[in-house]
Amino acid sequence: MSNEAYVPTAAEARADEEFLRAQEASGTERFIKRHSLQARVTHGVTIACCLWLVVSGLFVFIPALAQAAGPGVVFAMRMSHRVIGVAFIAVPLVSALLAPKGVRHIFRNLFAKWDSDDKKWMILFFPYLFMAKWIHMPDQHELKSGQRFADGMLWFSGALMAVTGVILLVGSTVASFPAVYAWTLFLHDIGFFLICVFGLAHIFLGAGIFQPYRGSARLMFGDGMVSESDALYHWGHWAREELESGENVVEKEARR
Amino acid sequence: MAEKAILFDTSQCSGCKGCQAACKCWNDLPSPTALNADAPSFTGTYQNPPDLSGVTRLVMTFSEEQGGPKGIKWAFGRRSCQHCGDAPCATICPAGAIFVDEATGLVTTDAARCIGCRFCASACPFDVPRYAGDRGVINKCTGCVDRVANGLAPACVTTCQPGALSFGDRDEMVARAEERAAVLRERGYADAVAYGADEVGGLHVIQVLKYGAAAHGQRPDPAVNPAVQLTQVMKPVTGAVTGLTVAGLAAMFALGAGYKRDRRAYNPATGDTLDVDTREVIKHGDGQDTESVKEHILENLPRRKGGDHE
Repeated sequence: MSNEAYVPTAAEARADEEFLRAQEASGTERFIKRHSLQARVTHGVTIACCLWLVVSGLFVFIPALAQAAGPGVVFAMRMSHRVIGVAFIAVPLVSALLAPKGVRHIFRNLFAKWDSDDKKWMILFFPYLFMAKWIHMPDQHELKSGQRFADGMLWFSGALMAVTGVILLVGSTVASFPAVYAWTLFLHDIGFFLICVFGLAHIFLGAGIFQPYRGSARLMFGDGMVSESDALYHWGHWAREELESGENVVEKEARR
Repeated sequence: MAEKAILFDTSQCSGCKGCQAACKCWNDLPSPTALNADAPSFTGTYQNPPDLSGVTRLVMTFSEEQGGPKGIKWAFGRRSCQHCGDAPCATICPAGAIFVDEATGLVTTDAARCIGCRFCASACPFDVPRYAGDRGVINKCTGCVDRVANGLAPACVTTCQPGALSFGDRDEMVARAEERAAVLRERGYADAVAYGADEVGGLHVIQVLKYGAAAHGQRPDPAVNPAVQLTQVMKPVTGAVTGLTVAGLAAMFALGAGYKRDRRAYNPATGDTLDVDTREVIKHGDGQDTESVKEHILENLPRRKGGDHE
């Protein structure tokens, strides 16, 4: 069954027109608060750590790079990898302890039941990535189904890197368990593989490099707010819920 | 130069530990001399130090067991790098600090390139490489490739008085070991074996083990941890998939060029989601989408911006 254009009643059409005129006359635009300052700071620190861990890790992961850089540089990279690795683990943990409700909220969203729009969105996602100009996507809740999957993979690979990283650190400093160490190294490599793939996709979409996602960077690197228009496009169900409750809605001067 | 090997015949070893001392001398490796410096307390064994370390590349092991034609089996063992044919330490070393000497097949090291990651220690089926914390590098037998390149035998071989150690072409060492093991078996040492011909791709330390592999502290069936090969597989796989991901994202970016989206607004009073520019109702209410996937993909005409009915 196809979505056919909805024809509003005369009264509805009048109300919609008045609503749009009032919005234009006010010179303001509605924004929805999406991410708290703490979430943005945690995300920012984690990203900085993650990027440095990727760069410093490459000096051990790629033999040609290690050999070209020489042992002095590689040693410095390895040591920084350990120090930054501690920050990569500690900062989200401290943040989680400071905001347990936020953590529950994140995981509730990650494991929320998929409705028919979620499933359809996921099926359409790959065609959409290449045909964004022509495909309109089904409305989504606070986390798109694809986001739930991709964010879940990032959470999983981040946790895998953290746990295996600690084991590698312990196994190369205060303890010796060669066989476990070798398997842990392999799992660390698996985590790196996942971070490469899902991290790149996350940057491409989240930083708004992909044209339909322009402005997304503001959510985590700006004031944490999303415009009404963008919210309706990306998370339609959530946006309408928020706009109706008005709890997290602020009006700001319209961008022209 | 043909592949070389060290031959260790335990039946001729007197347990003098001269090889241990020679290794220390040639490689300028210190020996802790304080009381009980190597072991936490006196263990009653002639074996000293108890195991390999950051300053010890070769340890003679001493094992006593009841049995054998003379009622007791006093088995000397040689604990050091076995110079594997398929050396997993060289495979996993990211810095190229452990590598196979092409001229001899011996697995040697270049401390100047070592980054101290200890991946080699995790890969070794014989638990040989040790980390020298004070120097931040790994320590293991180099096969004395510097001596060999100059026509000498490794230091341990040169110093061996009873002739338990020899050095030469690997094929010859293997043949001699098998011949000697057969002689020992004929003399009543039923467990005598030649060890190292086929293990881990063929070792470059061939041993005649008078009382069998286990009695002399050797692993009867050494195996490389499969994780070593898997980590090697992960490198090209990660590179290839990351490259594909970047290419895919670049294609998405190129196809997304010129993308424009109309502004939207939501009127809670009517439940209408509106296109701000065209004033059209994009969607009424908040129900689930009713189009099929196919319709979503094919709806490329602007006039088909349909809304949901509720």
